[in-house]
Amino acid sequence: MTAQIELQNVDKHYGTFHALKNIDLAIDKGSFVALVGPSGCGKSTLLRSIAGLESISSGTLKIAGETMNGVPPRKRDVAMVFQSYALYPHMTVERNLSYSLRLKGMSRADAKKKAEEVAKTTGLSELLHRFPRQLSGGQRQRVAMGRAIIRNPKAFLFDEPLSNLDASLRVQMRKEIRSLHDRLGATSVYVTHDQIEAMTMADYVVVMRNGVIEQRGRPLELYDFPANKFVAGFIGSPAMNFIASSIDASGTRLIFDEYSGESIALEQRLEPNRKVIAGIRPEFLRVASEAEANFHIEVGTVESTGSATYISSQDQMVTVVQSERTELKPNDRVGLKVDSARIHLFDAKTEARIVTDAG
Amino acid sequence: MGRIVSSITDGKGFDLLLVGLTMVFLLALAGVPLVYNVVMSFQQVDMFNLSTFSRPFAGFSNYVEVVSQPEFWLIIRNTAIFVFGSIGGQFVFGFALALFFMLKFPFASTIRGLFLVSWVMPGLVVGALWGWILAGDFGVLNAILKGIGLIDNTMFWKSDPSLAIWAVTIANIWLGLAFNMMLLSVGLAGISQDLYEAAELDGANGFQRFSTITLPMMRSTIGAVLALGLIYTLQQFDLFPAITEGGPANSSNVAQYWAWQWSFQLFDFAKGATVSVMMLVFVLFASLVYVWSTRHEVRG
Repeated sequence: MTAQIELQNVDKHYGTFHALKNIDLAIDKGSFVALVGPSGCGKSTLLRSIAGLESISSGTLKIAGETMNGVPPRKRDVAMVFQSYALYPHMTVERNLSYSLRLKGMSRADAKKKAEEVAKTTGLSELLHRFPRQLSGGQRQRVAMGRAIIRNPKAFLFDEPLSNLDASLRVQMRKEIRSLHDRLGATSVYVTHDQIEAMTMADYVVVMRNGVIEQRGRPLELYDFPANKFVAGFIGSPAMNFIASSIDASGTRLIFDEYSGESIALEQRLEPNRKVIAGIRPEFLRVASEAEANFHIEVGTVESTGSATYISSQDQMVTVVQSERTELKPNDRVGLKVDSARIHLFDAKTEARIVTDAG
Repeated sequence: MGRIVSSITDGKGFDLLLVGLTMVFLLALAGVPLVYNVVMSFQQVDMFNLSTFSRPFAGFSNYVEVVSQPEFWLIIRNTAIFVFGSIGGQFVFGFALALFFMLKFPFASTIRGLFLVSWVMPGLVVGALWGWILAGDFGVLNAILKGIGLIDNTMFWKSDPSLAIWAVTIANIWLGLAFNMMLLSVGLAGISQDLYEAAELDGANGFQRFSTITLPMMRSTIGAVLALGLIYTLQQFDLFPAITEGGPANSSNVAQYWAWQWSFQLFDFAKGATVSVMMLVFVLFASLVYVWSTRHEVRG
């Protein structure tokens, strides 16, 4: 595998604001990489830096082995799909698609033929003579995709392309973008704030916060082995429960400080009396009988979507998800059980994952 | 009665009231004088029948006389130079300035705001200022042109028959610059930055972005600016009395100033009305262009 896009020690400053901090990232040819993080984390800046719409303050950016620092966007041979789609409102779909080809000097007839081909693969054949304002959101999205595809670029850059679509269309477009990527053998970088998009679409996910890469890896690696509390809380929906806890004097039991000191046996010995944060995903907690329960909560809210039931504690700190329905009501006291192998431990101060032999 | 009152407070009556007020205003203060002016151009008007409306019908004799004046074609030529020179200059420099102020630099919008000074100033004041700037022996413009070696001899902007119309045109370009720049800036600001970025990634260089994105997206704004420019230039009057008074020997006289001379210096109101009716036809044409080019604006 060769790296199609390579960033080495990339920094970006806006005046005194340090938007990207020493970013090192290699994106393999043919892979689909998602950049996720909360808004303002630098993911869009990173994408725009790759496109050349922002200049990097220091470091090296390579596309297909060539250094691209200072190369204008039009010479980088990358295509971008914008959140707003940025379709040319005064051009028909056909001219939107063939714009880049015409700029390269392709004849009108050849460009038209190419546009028709791309329209076929993106399902736009009937719409070639419409203007963008006459299209629905999903159709505009397809035109934006087609405009990128027609150029056969070195990389596709997506900047939150699905956030203007309604929920059901978003799920459908997710699959279409991914299958298009596979069919074209393209290299794609996909920015999103929606971790579900990242998890379902990408080969690799890069989690960012405050201009720093917090963790990178395959989607399930991030889910199973989050490197720190931030990644643990960001990946997975509903979000992971965090309970301030400590290790007991013998180093073999985890004490839930916030839940009247109830405790659970650890898989292995840890440093005694250490302050930790216990992270437990809602889907690995279950309502249990008195005999089995590891700790107890007072029920605050019970919500059901039909397929899943969400039980939250009164302090809103703990949420349980289960597929069975429940008779529980607010103010009930209920015991919860968790498999201790499913507990993620993070250092209370650094919030970094505490590495144990179990992983 | 109650229904009429409630219609005025809550319903269609209120809309009709607002429209009605506007219509009364327009008819009384624009419509009637306009028609009166047209009628007058077909009448014999002298000092004795000025105060009555029933005057002898003159047919097209006023028009024939106006056209057969020896200075008629000179004035048409001057009007054309003034109108197209002014619009061209205002538009080109206004567009250039509008593009310049779209660049992000400190105080860009403040400096752009200062340009409005030229628009706020009364035409007579602007005329007086430019009268001094353009003065032959002590004018600043001549001093600068000589200083940078562009001319050797003094240019008598206001008194040389071949230059006089250009002197007024230059002053008018300055006067209308801010208006053009502002309207064009609004049009430019309406173009999403995303489009330029998309075009840049699609491989368009600066000139191609201008010709394939900016210009087509600005089409209705440009149409409106040019049409309004034509109307404002045809009604520009103040600069003429302030700078050249139409002279020397009508060499800088234009239709709107000529109409005023007929009516209020020679007291031949019929001829003045005739000249302004001829101008009306041109303005009407410009208005049609303006309405046509802004017809999409309702949709936003």
